[in-house]
Amino acid sequence: MTRTGLVHQALRYGSDDEFLAGTAEHARAGLDDGDTVLAVVSAHNISLLAGALGDRSGEVEFVDVRDWYDYPSRTLGRYHAYCDRLGPDRHARVIGEPVWTGRSDFETHEWLRYESLLNVVFAGTGHRILCPYDTRTLPDAVVRGAARTHPELAGESGTLYADPADFCAECDEHRPAALSAGPQDIRFARGRSAAVRRALTAYARGLGLPEQRTHDLVAAVHETVVNSVRHGGGQGVVRLHSDPDYVICEIRDDGSHASAPRPRLPGHLPPRPHAASGHGMWLVRQLSDLVADDLDPAGSVVRLYFRHRHPVSPLREG
Amino acid sequence: MTVVPALRTVGQMRQGDHLLLGYDTDEERDTVLAAFLLDGLASGQRGLVLPPADIPAGVALSFLEAHGCRVDEEIATGRLCVDPQLAVPEGLWDLDEAIRREARRAVGDGFLGLRVCTEVLRAQAGKGLKTLHDSELLLDPVFASLPVLGICQYDRRVFDEAELVPIAGLHHGRVGADAVWRDELLAITRTFAPPGLALAGEVDESNVTAVARALHTETARARARTAGGAHIRLDLRELHFIDVGALRLLVFTALGLYASGGTLVLTGVAAHVQRVMRVAGWDRVPGLRFEPSGEPP
Repeated sequence: MTRTGLVHQALRYGSDDEFLAGTAEHARAGLDDGDTVLAVVSAHNISLLAGALGDRSGEVEFVDVRDWYDYPSRTLGRYHAYCDRLGPDRHARVIGEPVWTGRSDFETHEWLRYESLLNVVFAGTGHRILCPYDTRTLPDAVVRGAARTHPELAGESGTLYADPADFCAECDEHRPAALSAGPQDIRFARGRSAAVRRALTAYARGLGLPEQRTHDLVAAVHETVVNSVRHGGGQGVVRLHSDPDYVICEIRDDGSHASAPRPRLPGHLPPRPHAASGHGMWLVRQLSDLVADDLDPAGSVVRLYFRHRHPVSPLREG
Repeated sequence: MTVVPALRTVGQMRQGDHLLLGYDTDEERDTVLAAFLLDGLASGQRGLVLPPADIPAGVALSFLEAHGCRVDEEIATGRLCVDPQLAVPEGLWDLDEAIRREARRAVGDGFLGLRVCTEVLRAQAGKGLKTLHDSELLLDPVFASLPVLGICQYDRRVFDEAELVPIAGLHHGRVGADAVWRDELLAITRTFAPPGLALAGEVDESNVTAVARALHTETARARARTAGGAHIRLDLRELHFIDVGALRLLVFTALGLYASGGTLVLTGVAAHVQRVMRVAGWDRVPGLRFEPSGEPP
């Protein structure tokens, strides 16, 4: 069968029965259609769903949320890689329940942004994604957010769906403040990125970041600096800050004031190997934990966040 | 005698240097000697070649033609000479005397000095390399006192590394081919066995053009070497950083080689570089192959 649209539904449930009523039906319908079915839910919900599916549970791929929903960009990367492996003729039926507990206001809104971006990033793919939201435990803001980030609500009528561009702009309001100038600021200019890499390596090592994360940080900031040099007027400054949760690197430029159109979804779509551009920003998002980017011809500010300790291993293949 | 174990490139050689060249292929030997002798011509020094057999000078020096040298003309004017000293079995015995004499003669003929290349044969090396050892030991004062610099050539297909280590200690170090490119971040050098390039240091937007140029030249060499697809090897063991722009160049080079049946082989890629390539989706590009570091099969 041929499907071209994306179906992205939220399932707001208040009991195990409601969870099963929505998800088991989604899984069975997928198996009946010949789709590949992936359920990324909590351990508790894995056992519920597997029990309800009985013999057919062996046909469903179950993944624990902790191995999947660590950082929004990497989760997006996993879904891209997963769907890519299916090839052009098979569709995915996904039950995906992001982790919302223990998230800061900033992190929560980056995950809400992620839910909204799914509508754009997977538009026209024919995949079907069902996102369960547990109304018993989740904050109201998250449950309300589900209605604005999903074009359809399973088992509910009406929708408050918001255009992703508008919704993302709202999420921007919840980003932490920009870094202020400080003695550790690193100026950069065309052809001088090596000095930035030296200073970053020393800074990251001084904070005790593991060797691999130091490489990731240096590579991500370098690519952002290269972008600033190329598109942002040739020079700028890197500001550094470390708080209890994150090492933060902010890359600012004065802009090229060119009238070139802003890139659409910069770094949210995996670039093709043969593409002449697009790999840098994709890499920045995949190597960083969170990215707050404001790409503007009148001067861009990009903040990259690297968590001090990883709750789960980064970049685990999906 | 001060022993400097570090490898110097032929372009860094200066008067008084007495260096050992261990070569794996004739191409490597010819590349180093051509640079050595042509640098001498440019510096007003006479070039003297001591080949292992009594062959006409024009034949012994013919490898220089490929490097743009008009060999017959240089021989006629005495700027390049060939001496059959080492063509006789006992040639090594008074090598120091021969070089002392030739250095003085070069100065007498109006040259600023002498550059000498000697091909060392195992047949002359003596029992347990004793003759060779004594000969190299006697050479040192000659280089210390006269305007002369020299390269002793050892074929590594004949002498193994264990034999060369003590002999290298009798020299001021070893010499290798000139870097294709060197800046404060990156050195690009040719490798000869197997043929290819080695990248050491960091590649970013400031020097990616040098890598592009070196790859272009290497591609032409590889195409000249084989009739089929060109296979280029890049030794990346000492490469600590490479950015997306430079990786894209490698990918496009690999795709270009693949289109004509060739490959780009990367050896010794660091784990953090492999990770970047995997994340960027460049770990499965047609024509791009990864090989672990170490001696290739």
